[in-house]
Amino acid sequence: MPESTPFTSRRGLLFGTAAVGAGALLAGCTSNEPDDEPAGNDDQPAAADTPGKAVTIGFAGPQADHGWLNAINDNAKNRAKKYSDVTLEITEGSNDTAAQIGQIETLINKKVDVLVILPADGKALTQVGLKAMRAGIPVVNLDRIFNTPQAYRCWIGGDNYGMGLNAGHYIGEQLKDVDDAKVIELAGLDNLELTKQRTQGFDDALKNYPNIKKVARQAAEFTVESGQAKMAQLLQAQPKFNALWNHDDDQGVGALRAIEQAGRDDFVMVGGAGALAAFQAIKQDNGVLKATVLYPPTMAASAIDLARALGQAKGVSGLSEFEIPSSLTLYSAVVDKDNVDQYMPTGFK
Amino acid sequence: MAPEPPLLSMSGITKSFPGVRALDGVDLDVQAGEVHCLLGQNGAGKSTLIKVLAGAHQPDDGTISWRGEPVTLRSPIVAMRLGIATIYQELDLVEHLSVAENVHLGHEPTAAGFVVRGKAAKASTAALLKRLGHPEVEPGRLVGELSAAQQQIVSMARALSHDVRLIVMDEPSAALDPEEVDNLFRIVGDLTADGVAVVYISHRLEEIRRIGDRVTVLKDGRAVAGGLPAKSTPTREVVALMTGRNVEYVFPERPATPRDADVAPVLEVQGLAREGEFAPVDLTVRPGEIVGLAGLVGSGRSEILETIYGARKPTAGQVIVGGSVLRPGSVRAAVRAGLGLAPEERKAQALLMLESVTRNVSVSSMSRFARGGWIDRGAELGAARAATRELSLRPDNPSVPVRTLSGGNQQKAVLARWLLRGCRVLLLDEPTRGVDVGARAELYAVIRRLADEGLAVLLVSSEVPEVLGLADRVLVLREGQVVHTAPARELDEHRVLDLVMEGAPVASASSAVDSPAAGGRGPAS
Amino acid sequence: MTQPVSPPRDSTDKVPSTGQLPAWRTTVARADVRTLSLLGVLAALIVVGGITKPDEFLDTRNLQLVLTQGSVIGVVTVGMTFVIMSGGIDLSVGAIVALASVWATTVATQEYGFAGILFTAVLVGVGCGLVNGLLIAYGGMVPFIATLAMLASARGLALQITDGATQIVTIDSVLDLGERDAYILGIPPLVLVFAVVTIIGWLILNRTTFGRRTVAVGGNAEAARLAGIDVRRQRLYLYLLSGLCCGIAAFLLIILSGSGQNTNGNLYELDAIAAAIIGGTLLSGGRGTIVGSVLGVLIFTTITNIFALNNLQSDVQQIAKGAIIVAAVLVQRRTASTT
Repeated sequence: MPESTPFTSRRGLLFGTAAVGAGALLAGCTSNEPDDEPAGNDDQPAAADTPGKAVTIGFAGPQADHGWLNAINDNAKNRAKKYSDVTLEITEGSNDTAAQIGQIETLINKKVDVLVILPADGKALTQVGLKAMRAGIPVVNLDRIFNTPQAYRCWIGGDNYGMGLNAGHYIGEQLKDVDDAKVIELAGLDNLELTKQRTQGFDDALKNYPNIKKVARQAAEFTVESGQAKMAQLLQAQPKFNALWNHDDDQGVGALRAIEQAGRDDFVMVGGAGALAAFQAIKQDNGVLKATVLYPPTMAASAIDLARALGQAKGVSGLSEFEIPSSLTLYSAVVDKDNVDQYMPTGFK
Repeated sequence: MAPEPPLLSMSGITKSFPGVRALDGVDLDVQAGEVHCLLGQNGAGKSTLIKVLAGAHQPDDGTISWRGEPVTLRSPIVAMRLGIATIYQELDLVEHLSVAENVHLGHEPTAAGFVVRGKAAKASTAALLKRLGHPEVEPGRLVGELSAAQQQIVSMARALSHDVRLIVMDEPSAALDPEEVDNLFRIVGDLTADGVAVVYISHRLEEIRRIGDRVTVLKDGRAVAGGLPAKSTPTREVVALMTGRNVEYVFPERPATPRDADVAPVLEVQGLAREGEFAPVDLTVRPGEIVGLAGLVGSGRSEILETIYGARKPTAGQVIVGGSVLRPGSVRAAVRAGLGLAPEERKAQALLMLESVTRNVSVSSMSRFARGGWIDRGAELGAARAATRELSLRPDNPSVPVRTLSGGNQQKAVLARWLLRGCRVLLLDEPTRGVDVGARAELYAVIRRLADEGLAVLLVSSEVPEVLGLADRVLVLREGQVVHTAPARELDEHRVLDLVMEGAPVASASSAVDSPAAGGRGPAS
Repeated sequence: MTQPVSPPRDSTDKVPSTGQLPAWRTTVARADVRTLSLLGVLAALIVVGGITKPDEFLDTRNLQLVLTQGSVIGVVTVGMTFVIMSGGIDLSVGAIVALASVWATTVATQEYGFAGILFTAVLVGVGCGLVNGLLIAYGGMVPFIATLAMLASARGLALQITDGATQIVTIDSVLDLGERDAYILGIPPLVLVFAVVTIIGWLILNRTTFGRRTVAVGGNAEAARLAGIDVRRQRLYLYLLSGLCCGIAAFLLIILSGSGQNTNGNLYELDAIAAAIIGGTLLSGGRGTIVGSVLGVLIFTTITNIFALNNLQSDVQQIAKGAIIVAAVLVQRRTASTT
């Protein structure tokens, strides 16, 4: 998981337009909707886009049993297709640490040029990351971080703490003028570290607003079913509150269902992650959901960019460095009615 | 010199369970080196008494002295440390462990306190097995692969692996063949010669005569007689003590006139065989007739019965009931055609122990009380009551759980099931196993009455007097072959045992020929 | 005896014999003690809820909420109770609920509207149950293994259908059933379905030959076979029944969450088994009650509710759940042994 550094220092680490640019790629995979086409306006590859030396990139991720993870795979695949000089070797996703280690070792034996790894469990896969690095294969560690920087050449991932922080600031600004405002939090799976980081960021941001008090928090499980169940209980427990932050748009589908069933509309809701359904609801602006905080799956496309650049020994365009940075933390932007159109194509299903 | 105190002295032992007073002031003295037999019907309190002795139950009242010292048997470990070992009827062995591991379970010989010394365990186990007359049992074999008799030897070896002064044996001969019983008695003799006391529980009076020194009879939780001489007390007296009445006629009278041979048989078995179990068998049973199958364990008796019933699939031959051929290997076809089986292992094969008598009786005829799957419970209860009353099942309340019944009444519940079903042929496998002497007579009467009312009965029993006393015709089996068929009147026990063992090379088995004659269950008429 | 004992003659013979009543009463009393101890636990929970959160807990809306949240797992538990009573186990219930819920909410299915969703959910549930039943009854597989395999396959298939995406339901007639307007005399339709399934389950178990056969197979399969019961066919029907319950539960879940997702029904198998066990169902089969299982579900749902209302976090909730399972089983063993 990314370390919890204050969000003000994040901007310095942003590189070029990669985050937003790659985000222009569509997540849709099986969809036959017309907007499947990439937006096309700013899908500039991060590294020099002229075809160079052929690069084989091995990609190993967890099982895509969740909208966000599915979007990760699609982003990686679609980005790789853009480059004529990139061959992508993608493994079958697995949540089993041992299975994933096996898959990565196979990729090492195949002598791929660069590895992109989104580990099922960062700590448990550190060894295999080290093994790849020792074998001379640069590793791009995606999102869930390895134990030691020696196990990767470059880490790129989202900012869980920043997500909470930005959600807190957004809600804080909305409720600035409300006396004794009450806020509740619908967290994700409580046994994940990232959930704790998101909550920490949220709490830290709210400290800036003495008029706001967080009155309740319940943890769901990133599933629609648990989102509905926990939200229904929260609504019963809190007959009156001003704002809700929900960590995850997938479980948010269930949370919105519970809110609808309870007939409540007397508060502002902020989501998390950046699902298409959430973007659409924000755009329509006829419900409680007013904004969502990004945890962009486009990071997978950027990881492919970085892997290609590493394979071709290039730097990142737009930066004056000769080398690829060793760590890139993405910005968790707040998407609301004003900028939702810009992000709409990056929404995942 | 003061007289030696008894090894064990229990006095005034009382133990109650909810609703039942299992023991009501029982006294028991056991001397070192004697075989003290414990007799009593099921429910008389025998098992409770030996569990108190083993430390598994705590008595509510009474005192226990060990070599003259009062002791409290707080737990089985305490009893074991004193030198009291119990061999239960249902052997408590771990099937997936080896013989040596079972023998030393809980007190493995170890090095440095925790490393099991496998070789030492095997060596001492081998020595124990040799002493018990079974040197052929390998200490390294898995217990699950052994025969019932061998498992019992292992259980005994486990008892002897401790420094044992008193061994309790709960019906040790129940699963044994005659020669195995001989070996058991030899072991008991060796043990007592070494000064070890044996408390011996058995239903078989003839065994008690052979090895017992003294007899204590339990009835309804009380010791109705203590320390009777085992060899000289008349059988009738012992039976009377157990049942509280004199048993004059154990077996019911056969009908004065033999069954008319013209009546078409309801059950015809033609050339039925199962490879490796029994050779082709032909037999017929007419309505009203009781046909007995006599033979030793392993002669194929139970297998024949279960194959007729469809529980095993025959390799050749057919079963015809009322003129139509049954689908082979189908219990449902057999039941539909009017067959009913009272299997050997009542608890494991026939009864739903958690259920009431009613539900156990109605289980084979449920659809009769159901319309569209919906059970008319009034009709069901009424029918179950009628069927159980017809068999004088006690208590006269079909709503009680079947597990609370005595062995004989549980057997009646199984018979009532088939009575209610309206079956035409009753297959009885060891119908009186685990049923005490007093209740047996009643069961025999019931079976005879059912036959008189027109049922055909095929009976299997390992007790020759039972077959001879109850059946009209007898088929004698040896090693899966029918070697003789004759009316029961024309046979006696010696003749049957000769037939059963003819050509059998086991010389020691000849002692078994005589022993049952000394028993009290021969035909009294 | 060539004639069966005829029931009519005997049913008129309603002899209230002297020895009968006490024994009959103890049988009833034993069942009651079991149920009463569960009701006691539930009552204690209600007292705790009422004291800690009088306004929010003791509220019609909260009662509706608790019962609604218990409906989905409750229907699954009724089916599971039958399977466990027969000496089996169904580990695939959660996965079947997931598969049924996603299959019933694909774009293609939703074109057929309300009936399409309901029909598909039930059909997928029954289909999975059929496969389980055939493998166990006629394929000779151990229930644990067969349903474990179904768990893996059904989850995999659910993932393949959805590609990890959440499938939103757009059929208003389905969604409306989850809204307050659909409540009948204040009872949510989901709770009504749960109640009906419970009552039918109780009737089947206690009043029909099917229930008797289930108990017989679970109590002693060999005895049941030798008594002439078709044990294999009964097993097949039992897993079909469990699958049917999963299909119904999936439909309820679609109504409740307004969507289908491959992660639905997460760990339902454990929740259903736990509820059945604290309800007094013997894991080895042969004994159990529908009422006990349903009380088990309500106890779990009430605990979750009280904890959420008091803003206690999921770690505490999980610990309490484990403790309740142990406590309930211990209390029952005690009361059962002293009766």
